[in-house]
Amino acid sequence: MTAAEAHPAPRRPPTSMHGRDNWTSLADLARSPEFRDRIEREFPRHAALWESGLDRRRFLELAAASLALGGLSACVQQPPEPIVPYVIQPELVTPGIPLYFATTLLRDGLGIGAIAESHEGRPTKIEGNPNHPASLGAADAIMQAEILTLYDPDRAATVLREGRIAAWADFTAWLHGESAAWRPSAGRGLRLLTGPISSPSLLALIARWLEQFPAARWHVHSPLRPAAALEPFAPLYHVERAERIVALDCDFLLNGPASLAHARRFIDGRRVRADRPRMNRLYALESRPTLTGANADQHWTLPPPALELAVARLAALVGVPGAAPALDWPAGADWLPIVARDLLDHPARSLIVADERLSPEARALCNAINQRLGAAGATLDWIPNPAPPPEDGSLAALAEAMRAGEVDTLFILDCNPVHTSPADFNFADLLRRVRRRVCLGLYHDETAALCHWHIPRAHELESWGDARAFDGTISTIQPLIAPLYGGRTPLELLALMTGENGMSDYDRVRAHWAAAAPGADFDARWRRWLHDGVFEGTALPAAAGPAPADPAAALAALDRRRADAVPARLHLLFEPDPALLDGRYANNGWLMELPRPITKLTWDNAALIAPATARRLGLASRQVVELTLRGRSLRVPVWIVPGHAADCVTLPFGFGRERAGRVGDGVGVDAYRLRFADTPWWTAGLELTPTNERYPLACTQDHFRMHERAPVREATLAEFIQTRGEIAPGHGDPPAQEPSLLPEFPYDGCKWGMAIDLTACIGCNACVAACQAENNIPVVGREQVALGREMHWLRIDRYYTGDLHQPDTAFQPLACVHCEHAPCEVVCPVAATVHDAEGLNLMVYNRCIGTRYCSNNCPYKVRRFNFLQYTDRVTESLKLMRNPEVTVRNRGVMEKCTYCIQRISRARHAALREGRAIGADDVHTACQAACPTRAITFGDLNHPGAEVNQWKAEPHNYDLLGDLNTRPRTSYLARIRNPHDELDADRSQSG
Amino acid sequence: MSAAAGQPPEPDGLALLGPGVTAASVTDHVAGIVIARPSPRFWWLAFGLGFLLMMLLLASIAWILVRGVGVWGVNVPVAWGFAIVNFVWWIGIGHAGTLISAILLLMKQTWRNSINRFAEAMTLFAVACAGMFPLLHLGRPQVFYWLFPYPDTMNLWPQWRSPLVWDVFAVTTYGIVSLVFWYVGLVPDLATIRDRADQPWKQRLFGIFALGWRNSALHWRRHQSLYLLLAALATPLVASVHSIVGLDFAISIVPGWHSTVFPPYFVAGAIFSGFAMVLTLIIPIRAVYGLHTYITGRHLDFMARVMLATGLMVSYGYLSEAFFAYYSGSRYENYMMLNRALGPFAPAFWALILCNVAAIQFLWLGRVRRGPLALFLISIVINIGMWLERFVIVITSLHRDYLPSAWGDYNATRWDWATFLGTLGFFLACMFLFIRFVPLLSIYELREMVHARAEHGGNA
Repeated sequence: MTAAEAHPAPRRPPTSMHGRDNWTSLADLARSPEFRDRIEREFPRHAALWESGLDRRRFLELAAASLALGGLSACVQQPPEPIVPYVIQPELVTPGIPLYFATTLLRDGLGIGAIAESHEGRPTKIEGNPNHPASLGAADAIMQAEILTLYDPDRAATVLREGRIAAWADFTAWLHGESAAWRPSAGRGLRLLTGPISSPSLLALIARWLEQFPAARWHVHSPLRPAAALEPFAPLYHVERAERIVALDCDFLLNGPASLAHARRFIDGRRVRADRPRMNRLYALESRPTLTGANADQHWTLPPPALELAVARLAALVGVPGAAPALDWPAGADWLPIVARDLLDHPARSLIVADERLSPEARALCNAINQRLGAAGATLDWIPNPAPPPEDGSLAALAEAMRAGEVDTLFILDCNPVHTSPADFNFADLLRRVRRRVCLGLYHDETAALCHWHIPRAHELESWGDARAFDGTISTIQPLIAPLYGGRTPLELLALMTGENGMSDYDRVRAHWAAAAPGADFDARWRRWLHDGVFEGTALPAAAGPAPADPAAALAALDRRRADAVPARLHLLFEPDPALLDGRYANNGWLMELPRPITKLTWDNAALIAPATARRLGLASRQVVELTLRGRSLRVPVWIVPGHAADCVTLPFGFGRERAGRVGDGVGVDAYRLRFADTPWWTAGLELTPTNERYPLACTQDHFRMHERAPVREATLAEFIQTRGEIAPGHGDPPAQEPSLLPEFPYDGCKWGMAIDLTACIGCNACVAACQAENNIPVVGREQVALGREMHWLRIDRYYTGDLHQPDTAFQPLACVHCEHAPCEVVCPVAATVHDAEGLNLMVYNRCIGTRYCSNNCPYKVRRFNFLQYTDRVTESLKLMRNPEVTVRNRGVMEKCTYCIQRISRARHAALREGRAIGADDVHTACQAACPTRAITFGDLNHPGAEVNQWKAEPHNYDLLGDLNTRPRTSYLARIRNPHDELDADRSQSG
Repeated sequence: MSAAAGQPPEPDGLALLGPGVTAASVTDHVAGIVIARPSPRFWWLAFGLGFLLMMLLLASIAWILVRGVGVWGVNVPVAWGFAIVNFVWWIGIGHAGTLISAILLLMKQTWRNSINRFAEAMTLFAVACAGMFPLLHLGRPQVFYWLFPYPDTMNLWPQWRSPLVWDVFAVTTYGIVSLVFWYVGLVPDLATIRDRADQPWKQRLFGIFALGWRNSALHWRRHQSLYLLLAALATPLVASVHSIVGLDFAISIVPGWHSTVFPPYFVAGAIFSGFAMVLTLIIPIRAVYGLHTYITGRHLDFMARVMLATGLMVSYGYLSEAFFAYYSGSRYENYMMLNRALGPFAPAFWALILCNVAAIQFLWLGRVRRGPLALFLISIVINIGMWLERFVIVITSLHRDYLPSAWGDYNATRWDWATFLGTLGFFLACMFLFIRFVPLLSIYELREMVHARAEHGGNA
């Protein structure tokens, strides 16, 4: 249907055949037979009314009845709200049409490209930037949640001097006076502490500052990568070129600024289709269950010391010179040889991935293995650290200087050492000894509370700047909105410290690049960079990398520690919380309530232990234990996690904040109190004392077995090839479509559908957070989650198969599947959930009265109910955050996935305007757009070109609970794994 | 069939009317309860307890309206909780009244004359209690009227495929018909009170409600034909209401609900629990107001027999549910049954079997059927058992259905209990107001029985 047909032009009043007839009054016109005729055609139901003539009695009757009935439907009075249009329309802004800007978000100092959606000047949604190497179009859960951090009402809103409100001018005046005093001593006693910084313009400013004050020193602190952040080189994995990957206690699919790229490249190597049954293979050795282990084709659970021995043994098996003595070491005797042979069979196409969780000696062996396998230059490159660290600029060095009283003035930029520094530093005490302390941060946090000056930082979405990605590619940070709380950027503060103030950040960044990349066409290039968000061709070139360590020496060091491999007591392991990272997102409700990928816990951290350890120690989930390490102790609830190494306790850090804000204060336990400088990742000698206390941890999924229902269908690659992909019918279900007496509904226009590739889904939660951001989904809090009332429209179900010691983990994203025969629709008494002509199962919030029968009758249990008033209707800043295209739901109504109907509408309107049909690739749901591995596809089932049709035509495509004849619109591609055939048979006995 | 015809006189305890009852003594006794001042202490205690709990109900309702339905323990997947359990339980209790009044009237079971007024009142109050729950349990109770087909400006009607809509009609029809039936039966007795009342306001009030009853033969003729017509009208409702409540569940695809046995099994369960509640109330009241001459051991015996019969039907329902869960071959149904018997709510399931299947076996003994104390205890056990039955059906079916990932738990909150106890209080308070202000036995029908006994020299 074209636009003209849909909106017929207004017709003129009919005229007679004889040219223009004059009429003298409306009544005159109304009496004309043509007019009557037209009224009859247009309003056939009212024609009789018109004919009969409306007498006074009848009129009063009707008026009274309308009034009475009107009263019935008018019980809710809307508050009067004046709507004021723009007096002067800003350039490009059309009310109701969002604009998109390329910018960059920072992850531990490194950039991830993003595209921010802006509604009349308010950023409301983050998408990935397809041009950016760290994003490739995807945006993970934390990037999605940056929107909430931006609008967080608890952000620092003003300059504080010793806790009292001060003006920015007070600070500049103070700093001016101070810096005059620095000059004579060349800045002795002057220290700068930051997180890792990759921004070339900021690094240049710091360099100039250090030039001005040669005695001043700069330190870098990263609780997420305390060692790697200070290393001069960084590994660059070419996952896409690797056919055999071994991850050694390294969660490279979820952690770090490169994880989105790693996940995409990894999954690109294993998109199994009937005509392309090829997969890479991932082995994982891990001490605690990770997303990488869950997605590995084979994984083994080992305590960290045993894992290091396994590394040594692997080195010996692949023939690293000098590693031969490790052949007799205990770990992995039965399976490591097979892994080693598999790696050796793929020279230059295999890769060992490890990070600083391994000891330096073990990492040296990893490097040697990679060298031996020919990985260097093929699947692995070394580049200079894109966030170059200062020389001797560790936090330990700063702590030493502070202890010695050498620090006179300390500037802390965007890091929170009082919370995140190692416990043995007692950083808060040290900080109090510093005479002048200045802190720039988003929140008035633990560190800010101890500083003389606290300057609110501008969020990245409020700042100009630049950043390097994990591979060195430079991208721009563009502000989407003026600072909401008067925040200042690190650039601004450094410029003030170097005396280069008087310039805007925009000019500063632009001037930096005008100088760094001069040329006549700079203006054009600059505009293109801003538009694309990426400076093309700026990836850092490969470098020589770290000097190869002597494997024999490394082996000797490991050999000395072999005694630890049999732990006398428990080991304590640390990991960053997957959502809060080092704790910087502790005040972000979306991230707090995001079910953690493996544990499905929300709102708390817990001491994660293996089922075997729990049995040995007589512990149950939610039981509080006391952990004691080196005389410091902590009370924390236990959570039993299948696939955890025995006799190890993992404590995620990032929780237990004292000054995070209203959301994060006092939530969870501060693991940093047991994290010492020499053992940042794991340590032996933990004591665990059970208590009788119980703590109500809120978990979103209590049952993890499939109970013979096979919601996730799985097969190995060998089975897939053998059955030509027809693995689904093997489960004995009746055909998905049962015969019906009723004719099928003809879908003439679009017919929406979705397919999800379970092989590609890594369970990272990006889709869950994207859905929350896109659809104005409220946060409910720990108590409500514990009651089973979380509101996520999209959840990721996690199932275990195999034994509890090292189970196989499968993830299944599940939102409303938009059944053709939707059980919810028949039971709603008020027709609040109905089918539309494009096959969507709609939820009409205005009509819902909240009987909740639809939820009971939904076999997928994907409907969410507003049991209480969950949406915050009060906080002003959060109103700015909401997507104006999605209804904000209030108490008492049911809600669920809409297939992002607002995005469908937008595509439909665009198509209508341009007089064309909706294209195959026009609509991307929020979950689909965010997915780092492109595990979700959505489109028009009537459109032959739509990718979703190709997916659904695959032989391993199946409907979830298809035997109920619900005929869901969302279908799944079975999960295919690629275990080694020799290991697959005896997998249950090994490890 | 009259119990007396051609049979030797039964022992005294088994007669339908005690010895020495005359038409005058019936009126004196029953009207006296209404007219007497002050109320006996028992009345004050019982009414006071009911009133206090009713205040708790008001507080709960206020809190639900202020905070939302989330103050209860409902969640996803268990989106229906105590509210629906209580609704079905109360509706079931409300079944005895109409059954006794209408069906037994049409079947000329004269023994019903002693208990029908009381049972009908109980029905009305139970239906009122039941009616509260579906409204309070709505997410947006302020728009409850959308369930009715009123001419709305958007031309929207209810969604007729939903059993909840049928339910609205079934329950409102039942409530209205029960009220009218009860009131029509009351008119001659209200006139009696009007004539005997010693205070002007009472004379006036009862006069208004007596609708100018003058005891003329014409009045009686019209009254009797209306009464019979209403009885005929109410009879199908006995079956329809609880069948439709059963369909509320059976229409769904939830394992444990999706079952064709539900409508008849719900009706039997309703009569079962209704009779249990009548006994629970009438046994102590009979003792306090000395009504032994009107409600004799024979009545108790009859009611116990009905309970036994319906209880056996309910037991058969349990058996067939379990059998078809197995026989269906559906893994979901199989698991549902195992989960009921062995899962986290297994104590509730086995307690219900104990209450509804095991306890009623005592009713095979005549001694138990006629012994007020034993019968009282059994009736209370059955009330509890029937509540547990609804709890098991609603909660255990929902908490583990199809996808293990979505399985959940259910814990009633203090507001769940407060609302439930509150309706018990409301019910109790209403019952005692009824006892105080309305003749709790049907005077004219009892007088008919006395007359018939005198006329035919029989037992009733």
